[in-house]
Amino acid sequence: MKLTKRDILKFTVAVSVLTAVPAIAQNGPIVIGATVPTTGPLSLTGKQYFNSLKMAEEDINRAGGINGRQIKIVFEDTQASNSTAVNAFVKLVQEEKPAFVFLSSYSTQNIAVAPEVKKSGIPVMYAGGADAVSDAGNEWMFRIRPADSLAAAGMVQFAKGNLKATKPGILYIQNDFGQGGAQVAAKQFEAAGSPVVGMEAYGQNDKDFSAQMLSLRQKGADTILAFVYPQDGAMLLRQAKMLGLKMPIVASSAAFVPAALQLLSPSDLDNVSGVVDAFVDTSAGERMKDFIDRYKEKFSMEADPYGLAYYDGAMLMAEGMRKAGTDPKALRDWLATVKDWPGIGHAYTFDAKGNGVSDLAVVRAKPGTKSLELVQPIKLN
Amino acid sequence: MADFIQLSINGLALGSVYALAAIGFVIVYSATGVVNFASGQFVMLGTFAGVAMLINGGLPWPVGYVGALAAMALFGALFFLVVYLPLRSSPVVTIIIGTVAVGIALQNAAQLTFGSWPFRLQSPFEGMTIEIAGAVITVHAVAVVVGTGILIGLLWLLLHRTTIGIGMRAVAQDVKAARLMGLRVNGLLAFSWVLAALLAGIAGLMLGPMWFADVNMGDPIALKAFAATIIGGFGSLPGAIAGGLFVGLTEVLGASYLSSAYKDLIAFGAMIAFLLVRPQGIFGERIQDRG
Repeated sequence: MKLTKRDILKFTVAVSVLTAVPAIAQNGPIVIGATVPTTGPLSLTGKQYFNSLKMAEEDINRAGGINGRQIKIVFEDTQASNSTAVNAFVKLVQEEKPAFVFLSSYSTQNIAVAPEVKKSGIPVMYAGGADAVSDAGNEWMFRIRPADSLAAAGMVQFAKGNLKATKPGILYIQNDFGQGGAQVAAKQFEAAGSPVVGMEAYGQNDKDFSAQMLSLRQKGADTILAFVYPQDGAMLLRQAKMLGLKMPIVASSAAFVPAALQLLSPSDLDNVSGVVDAFVDTSAGERMKDFIDRYKEKFSMEADPYGLAYYDGAMLMAEGMRKAGTDPKALRDWLATVKDWPGIGHAYTFDAKGNGVSDLAVVRAKPGTKSLELVQPIKLN
Repeated sequence: MADFIQLSINGLALGSVYALAAIGFVIVYSATGVVNFASGQFVMLGTFAGVAMLINGGLPWPVGYVGALAAMALFGALFFLVVYLPLRSSPVVTIIIGTVAVGIALQNAAQLTFGSWPFRLQSPFEGMTIEIAGAVITVHAVAVVVGTGILIGLLWLLLHRTTIGIGMRAVAQDVKAARLMGLRVNGLLAFSWVLAALLAGIAGLMLGPMWFADVNMGDPIALKAFAATIIGGFGSLPGAIAGGLFVGLTEVLGASYLSSAYKDLIAFGAMIAFLLVRPQGIFGERIQDRG
């Protein structure tokens, strides 16, 4: 066979194209996946994760990316469904081959996705609080929020120590988060010598809590611990005032996110404290102020501790990639050794189960207003 | 006793809203044979019509309420023209799927328009409470119960004492015969949709201050209204009322006196029991060729 000039030219072009493609891919952006609820009932919180991750993506890229390479976050919607969450994760992994993935903040979705995470061998961060997620021992999963048992322990500590509760009552949303938290709290109260006088549950779609609250009052509860999501939390606090309940209420963090607070009037927050993930307020330090101000300017909405967790998580991931590279195993191993990494919301240290946060904050509204003040930080093991 | 009164009024107020949603459901079903799976979203739309008029528009409440209801009536007419009329000659199941699709579209359209954060719609009786035998009851809850009672009375008068109402009942019984009698069937069918949308609108406006205005509020209402119609008797107006009140009271009283964790089980358990033992519900169904 005789090679013409033309053939040689074709061959040269082909070879150079073939060798150039991987080089281009190598210099293209590092793809990060994020499966968060952007539609459906959970989008109320999902919007915060979406925004925070977008902001983190911009900040990381503006600061030079990962050793010169930009990152690109690809989002998939989990809606309010476990199967959609699993499909979203699988689709991302298969189509985008991300180096890292952020999961949603809903424990049931985290648990559903966990086997796929293990199969994919990609490190992920998640914000669901249920202990069941970390107890399963999936070494690829890292939690960037306090575990529910930790939050429950913090609520009990505050109710016992500061409010001197002797006959506590518990009101909880009937799901993994609420039930888990309520059980931990009940056990801790029992151990502290003041067993709960009543435990009442409500469904995620319930809108009337009068039966549960009156029942707790009838049983003589002197303090109510409420494990809630944002919207029902706001409604519950409002109805407590309508029913004329006088005892202090200690609510879980969701009742104090901006989405919930905008539904309340200052009087609804009388005698209510919240054990929140982090005190997201401009008074809580320069970096926090910068985050809050920029977030508000960019998205015209208030930042909340959940969104902040994702921002911190993304920054931590970026540092991991700079130091350990984008190889999934190396990145996972680096994350597992993180100790006292200074995020904006917390100092992150991952334990053997992948829990990164061990501190909380107690907040309440300043009298007659809806602006929050820090009552005390809580540090637990 | 104070607690019982308090809970009963709350249960009745909640039940009234379910009853109104269920009546809207039944009116459409009786007149057209269509199970409207978008009925929960109709109620949601009613609440958000209120949000648009009162919060976004800043109108005083009497004007805002009238504006919201006018918007709902228009929506009912549009639904008839755009969804029901083109699909009318298709099998009923096609129309039902159409209502499901419209329901999803409505929910997502509301989310795009109003966002995912809920709104707090103020009641004209905001912050007003009365005390009866130690029970603190909001004036809004009492107004909802009384208002629903008046509406049901008016509805009865409309259906039994006016030409339009009698015509609607005729169409419900037999479309062909009604047409042969010279009734303007299309007009009456359109009116049924408008009426259903109006009732859903009123339910939505009543609900707004009790719940928060939330684009996802439609589904739980639809489920409860569906349970109410089955318990009361599918297609029966008194049944929708009785069923609605039953579900509302069961929800609140059951949570208090039986178990808060299983209160939905009580309402839906009753629905399943009715399906097994008395599928025609409390009031049965007069038209036997459907169901």
